[in-house]
Amino acid sequence: MTTFAETTATAPCDSLRRSATQVLLGNWTGAATVPSRALYPHQWSWDSAFIAVGLRHVSPRRAQRELETLLSAQWGDGRIPHIVFNPSVPDGAYFPGPGFWRSAVAGRAAGASAFIQTSGIIQPPVHALAAWLVHAADPAESRRRGFLPRVYPRLAAWHRYLGGARDLGGGGLASVVHPWEPGLDNSPCWDAALARIEPAPFGSFARTDLHHSSAADRPTDLDYARYVRLAATYRDHGYDDARTPHAFAIEDPSFNALLIASEHALADIAETIGADAGPHRRRAEAATAALVGRLWDPVDEIFHARDLVTGAAIAGHSVSGLIPLVVPGLPAAIAKALARTLHGPRFGLGRVHLVPSYDLTAPEFDGNRYWRGPSWFNTAWLIHRGLAAHGEEEAAGLLREQFLTLAHRSEFAEYLEPHSGDARGILRFSWTAALALDLLQTSVAQGVAR
Amino acid sequence: MLKIACQEQLLPGETLQDKWEFAQSAGYDGIELRGKGDLHFRDRLPELRKALADGVVMPTVCVEMLHFFGAFDDALRRDAIEQMKSQLSVIGELGGLGAQTPASYGMFSRRLPPFEPPRSAERDREVLLEGLTELGEHARKEGVTLFLEPLNRYEDHMVNRLAQAADLIREVGLDSVRIGIDSYHMNIEEADPPAAILEAGPLIGHAQVSDSNRFQPGAGHLEWAAWLSALDATGYAGYLAVECRLTGDPVEAVRSIPSFLRRVAG
Repeated sequence: MTTFAETTATAPCDSLRRSATQVLLGNWTGAATVPSRALYPHQWSWDSAFIAVGLRHVSPRRAQRELETLLSAQWGDGRIPHIVFNPSVPDGAYFPGPGFWRSAVAGRAAGASAFIQTSGIIQPPVHALAAWLVHAADPAESRRRGFLPRVYPRLAAWHRYLGGARDLGGGGLASVVHPWEPGLDNSPCWDAALARIEPAPFGSFARTDLHHSSAADRPTDLDYARYVRLAATYRDHGYDDARTPHAFAIEDPSFNALLIASEHALADIAETIGADAGPHRRRAEAATAALVGRLWDPVDEIFHARDLVTGAAIAGHSVSGLIPLVVPGLPAAIAKALARTLHGPRFGLGRVHLVPSYDLTAPEFDGNRYWRGPSWFNTAWLIHRGLAAHGEEEAAGLLREQFLTLAHRSEFAEYLEPHSGDARGILRFSWTAALALDLLQTSVAQGVAR
Repeated sequence: MLKIACQEQLLPGETLQDKWEFAQSAGYDGIELRGKGDLHFRDRLPELRKALADGVVMPTVCVEMLHFFGAFDDALRRDAIEQMKSQLSVIGELGGLGAQTPASYGMFSRRLPPFEPPRSAERDREVLLEGLTELGEHARKEGVTLFLEPLNRYEDHMVNRLAQAADLIREVGLDSVRIGIDSYHMNIEEADPPAAILEAGPLIGHAQVSDSNRFQPGAGHLEWAAWLSALDATGYAGYLAVECRLTGDPVEAVRSIPSFLRRVAG
C-alpha cells in the first residue's frame, strides 16, 4: 500500500513528485499552464492560481510568470477574467470561446484589452494568496524580478473591483453573477436560481466539452443552455455590473472566504514592499464579520450561500460552505463546528474519499457529475489548509494522506467519485498535480506556515 | 540528491589528487576527465590508475579533439572512432560510466557560409548510424555508455536537438548509446528545454551544465529550477558535469557552482 504519511523522500514520494512535475512541465505553454491539454486549452483564472502554488516548487520563476501572464489580461475595471484565450488555439476548440464573449468589443467600456481575448466573467480570488506563497518559495528570485511590486497594484485593483462593483447586496460581500464564477459550476445549490433562467435556444450553441469527457460526468444540456443565456445577457450589457439585470446573483461562502484569505495575503504583500497593510487588514476583518453575519447558519453548522434575487439563504449543503475554514481569524467556535460538519454524515471525512462537493445524504447528490457530488482536489487542499490552521491536526493529516494517495492513484484526475475514489473527468489535470506537489512539501506540523 | 562533477581543467591544482581535494571541499561528487586525441587519454592510464587508487571519483570523460565520428573526411572519421573506442575502454577500466562526444564540432554550420554542406543529409545519417553502432557495440563490450551530445546549430549541422539524437539512438537500438545533454546548447536549440528533457526521458544518459552564456551555472539566465526539475522527473540518476567558461575569479566561480545548483534544485 502506497503511503505518504512521511514527508521524507521515500520511494512513493519520489514517484509522486516526479509524476506531478511531469504533468506541470507538460502542460506549460511558454507563459502559462493549461489545466489540461485535452479539455481546457486556454488559461483559467483560479486554475492558474492553484497551479502557481504547486509550480513554485518546480520553478519559482515559472510560478511568477503564470500569475503575471494572467494579470496581464486584467480589465481596466480590475476584474480578472475567468479565461484568457490562447490566440494560437482555433476559436472552435472551446465553447464558449472568444467569438462568444467578444471581450474586446463588448467589454470595451469595462476596460477589456483590445488585443488579448478573454471571457467576461470571473472566478474565485485565490490570486493574492497564490502570489504570496509563490513569493515565499524563493524570496530572492522574487525580489530580483520585482515580482511583488509588479503584481501588488493589480491584485489590489482586483480586490477593489470585487468589493465595489460586485457588492450587489450592499452587505460587504462580493456576489457572483453566473454559476461558473464561484467555480462550482453545476452545484445543486444553484438549481433553484437557475430554474428561473430561460434557456438559450438549443440550436444556438455547440458544446465542445463532451468531446473529451463522458456526458454523465459533465453538466447537462439544459444547464448549459442556461449558462449561455446568463453569459449572453451579461455580455449584451457590456459586462457592466450596475446595468445588467442580474437574474442570477449570489453571495457564495467559498468565493468570499477566498477573497478574505487573499486580502490577508495582500496585507502581507503590502508590508513586504513597504505599502500600507492597514486597509487590507481592515477590509479582511470587515468581510469576515459580513461572512459570518450574512452566511453562517449556526443550526446547520455550515455557511449557506445567499440568493440576492429572493433574499433567502440557499438551503443545500455544499463544500463551499466549509471553505471558510481557510479564513484567518475565523471565530474558533465556528471552525470547530465546521470540523464537526466535515466529519458528519453529509461530508463523511474519513469514510469517503476526500471531501464530496455536495451533501452525501441529499437526493440531488450525484457522485459522478462534476460539482454535484464528486470530490475535488482543490477544495480538499483548501480544507486541509484550514484544518491545519485551526489546530485540527488529525483531520488535516488524514486528508493530506488521502489526497496524496488518490492524486497518484488517479493519475491526477480532475475529480473523483467520493465512495469509490475512482477517477472522473480528465486525467493529468494541472491543479491536482500542483496541489499534490504542494502538500508533499508541507508536513502537517508545518501547517500553513509555508 | 544531485551528483555534481566538474571538468578537470576547471579545478585548481597540479594533480588529479589536488583537484579532487578542492572539488570535494566545494561540494563536487566527481571529476569529468577530458580525452585528447592521439591516444593521449590512454597514455594517461598510469596517472589515472594512481588517482583512482587515491580515491578520486572519475565517472566520465568528454572528448577534446578537433575531429569526430561524423567527420566528412574518411581518415579523420576512422581516427575519431578509434580514439573514442580507446577512451571508452579507458573509462571502463577506471570503473566509470561512459564517454561523451558530439557528432562533429566546428566542421560545418548551416547558418554560416557556404550554408550547404558537402555531404547529403542522407549520407550524414548513414555515417552517424554506422559510427554510433560501432562505438555502441564497443561500449557495451566495455560495460560503459557512449553519450551523443547535440550541439547548437553554429557548432554542428547534424545533431542539434535532443529529439534528433533520440531518433538516431532508437534506430541504433543499443542500450549502450544514450544522449549526453548540455544545458547551453539546449538553450539555443530547444523551444522548451524542460519539455525536451521529459520527451527524451530515459534516453538521457549524461548531462553537462553551463549557463545561457556558456559561463558557470548562475552567471546567466537559464531557468535552472525547471531544467533540474525536469531532469529529476525523468528519474535521471547520473551526474551533472560542469563544462563551462568562467567569469569572475575562476576559483571562486568554480567553488560557487555546487551550492548554486543545489539551491535552485530545491
